[in-house]
Amino acid sequence: SIKMHEKRNTKQKNDEKTPKGAVPAYLLDREGQSRAKVLSNMIKQKRKEKAGKWEVPVPKVRAQGETEVLKVIRTGKRKKKAWKRMVTKVCFVGDGFTRKPPKYERFIRPMGLRFKKAHVTHPELKATFCLPILGVKKNPSSPLYTTLGVITKGTVIEVNVSELGLVTQGGKVIWGKYAQVTNNPENDGCINAVLLV
Amino acid sequence: MALYNFKKITVVPSAKDFIDLTLSKTQRKTPTVIHKHYQIHRIRHFYMRKVKYTQQNYHDRLTQILTDFPKLDDIHPFYADLMNVLYDKDHYKLALGQINIAKNLIDNVAKDYVRLMKYGDSLYRCKQLKRAALGRMCTIIKRQKQSLEYLEQVRQHLSRLPTIDPNTRTLLLCGYPNVGKSSFINKVTRADVEVQPYAFTTKSLFVGHMDYKYLRWQVVDTPGILDHPLEDRNTIEMQAITALAHLRAAVLYVMDVSEQCGHSLEEQVELFKNIKPLFANKPLIIVANKCDVKRIAELPEESQKIFENFQAEGFSVIETSTLTEEGVIQVKTEACDRLLAHRVDTKMKGNKVNEVLNRLHLAMPTKRDNKERLPFIPEGAVARKKRMEVDTPRRKLERDLELELGDDYVLDLQKYWDLMNSSEKYDKIPEIWEGHNILDYIDPDIMRKLEELEKEEELREAAGEYDSEPESEDEEMMEIRQLAQQIREKKKLKILQSKEKDTRGPRMPRTAKKVQRKVLEQEMTDLGLDMTNKDDAHYVRRSRSVTRKRKRDESETPKSVARSRSSSRTPRDVSGLRDEKMVKKVKTMAKKAQKKMNRLGRRGESDRHIFDLKPKHLLAGKRKSGKTQRR
Repeated sequence: SIKMHEKRNTKQKNDEKTPKGAVPAYLLDREGQSRAKVLSNMIKQKRKEKAGKWEVPVPKVRAQGETEVLKVIRTGKRKKKAWKRMVTKVCFVGDGFTRKPPKYERFIRPMGLRFKKAHVTHPELKATFCLPILGVKKNPSSPLYTTLGVITKGTVIEVNVSELGLVTQGGKVIWGKYAQVTNNPENDGCINAVLLV
Repeated sequence: MALYNFKKITVVPSAKDFIDLTLSKTQRKTPTVIHKHYQIHRIRHFYMRKVKYTQQNYHDRLTQILTDFPKLDDIHPFYADLMNVLYDKDHYKLALGQINIAKNLIDNVAKDYVRLMKYGDSLYRCKQLKRAALGRMCTIIKRQKQSLEYLEQVRQHLSRLPTIDPNTRTLLLCGYPNVGKSSFINKVTRADVEVQPYAFTTKSLFVGHMDYKYLRWQVVDTPGILDHPLEDRNTIEMQAITALAHLRAAVLYVMDVSEQCGHSLEEQVELFKNIKPLFANKPLIIVANKCDVKRIAELPEESQKIFENFQAEGFSVIETSTLTEEGVIQVKTEACDRLLAHRVDTKMKGNKVNEVLNRLHLAMPTKRDNKERLPFIPEGAVARKKRMEVDTPRRKLERDLELELGDDYVLDLQKYWDLMNSSEKYDKIPEIWEGHNILDYIDPDIMRKLEELEKEEELREAAGEYDSEPESEDEEMMEIRQLAQQIREKKKLKILQSKEKDTRGPRMPRTAKKVQRKVLEQEMTDLGLDMTNKDDAHYVRRSRSVTRKRKRDESETPKSVARSRSSSRTPRDVSGLRDEKMVKKVKTMAKKAQKKMNRLGRRGESDRHIFDLKPKHLLAGKRKSGKTQRR
């Protein structure tokens, strides 16, 4: 494959291995070669890019399993049916959110666990603001949680930063930025996040 | 009204103390033991209780503070103004406002966290939520540190304010510092205000009370006022101004004639003119103090003119000296009288008077005739009064006599006896008089004699002197008595017999027992009945021929079944029944009662065996029209 081609074994001059003194004929004209895997520039660049794409304050998070985040709700006349799930972690639903008819909704997001605001700290200013959440960008545990809007530790959320009054180079006002959640909201009752600059 | 309850405001704890207090109270008063393996609802309840308890405590304490502190709008304007002067109205209101906000915030926090805790599914989660909730509440209180400190200081100062009743009779002292106001109040009331030679010794209002004409009067001492415009005045002077402005009192403007206070007479007059608007509608007296040093008459002409001007304007000027107490009482009486008159006037002019006046009616008695009726004074009273004035010595007492005679003294009560003939006082008393034995009427041994008499009576009774005679009885009575005697004996015997019987367990009724023939015969003979003739007796066991005959005669079912049990027994199915018809009815009833049992095939009452557990007509078929609800 191309990768292997790029990581080709380069042959370098290896002075050390060259024996001093008499050398049999078949060994002449051959200097020590060290076969080092010299990584080509391209690969290096690619790796850096990948690593630098999401340089977040909370890089590694414990993955939350489904049993932890979703609780099974039994329904039916004899409580036999178990296809409904209730979210046990803090979640965010948008402004225009309306539930599906209760008979058909598969995931229940209780009102008590819905949060609209997060306490966002600006890392450079070292100041904390209470900003409204615009949406959940990515939940590191599972894309399902992202679509549901479940906010756990390490989730990247988008917040409304018009309060800060940031302005782009071109003169446009920035009103949305990403922030990463740094605490366990279900244990603390509030969402603490760090703004990603 | 918070007017006089400034002393009852609850202590405002500092922020740190408040937090410690509440948290330790939560720790002590709520259950502390919880384990991971308890049921989740129990864990949740445990932690929710702690959050709610803390919230409750904070809420209660803060509400208490808010209600105890007086609202500046509710109290008398005098106190409102005074508090404004001392504590700054805005700051006060802001502090209380902050406390109110804190209270609401705490309530909200508790509500939110309790709501969140309902979704807590593990002990750790609930515990963390409780920790967050309590922490938040305590931070809110920590932020109120400044307000709490300020309020505590206000409370302490408030409780030390003098209780001035703004509505009662008051005399207000005002003037420059060091003119002698405090010495005046010390003289007139029991107040002990500090008097010192330096100015502004009195830094706040002081109250003293005095009595005049059976009424209680307040005397208010103020700090001295200097002569500068209102805006420049400091807190101490403002207190005096407030008092002047709001208390409806008689004002005593104290001036220092000798100018020892450090301000000239002209300055004092200037000040007077400046604060004159505050004296509107108040009786005013000018007190020329320190007259022991310098009298008005000794003053130069211009100064005297000033005083004459005052008098011309209608303000009375009285010279006093608080050192020699000259004129102090005069000032007091004059001020009180004028104030009373003023108050009465105001009340008369007001609206409320009419309500009272309409109901009052002074009734004067009309003269009946022209006879002069003077008040009657008994002579003794007049004499006593005269004696009191003359101070004559009182009559000789026994004590005096005793002291006089010393050892010879004998208590002779007979001299006080009130007899018709006073010369008989010391006569001996006779024993018999007019045929009566005096001792009968006065006998010292009478108790002893009574006892003897009683003993005699007892003896007599024992001897039977008082027994009634036996009455003559006729035959009937004798018989009756005999019979009664017999009955009594028999009864006693029966009682003894029944006692001897060994009765254990349930007892058969008398009618169920078999009566033995012997016993029957014996009893009847005892009673006197002749039992020898046995032909007619129905209980005798007859010879076989007689019985058989009997049987043939009555071969059908016997008409009467009322026999004694000792002979042939009636069959059970006809016992207790009167006649044939009844027997038939009874048989049909018995058959009917058995029908149900037979139909159900039950062995007895306790047989509940179900033959068909799953009847097809109930369990088959589709779910239609409610039949399946009760399967």
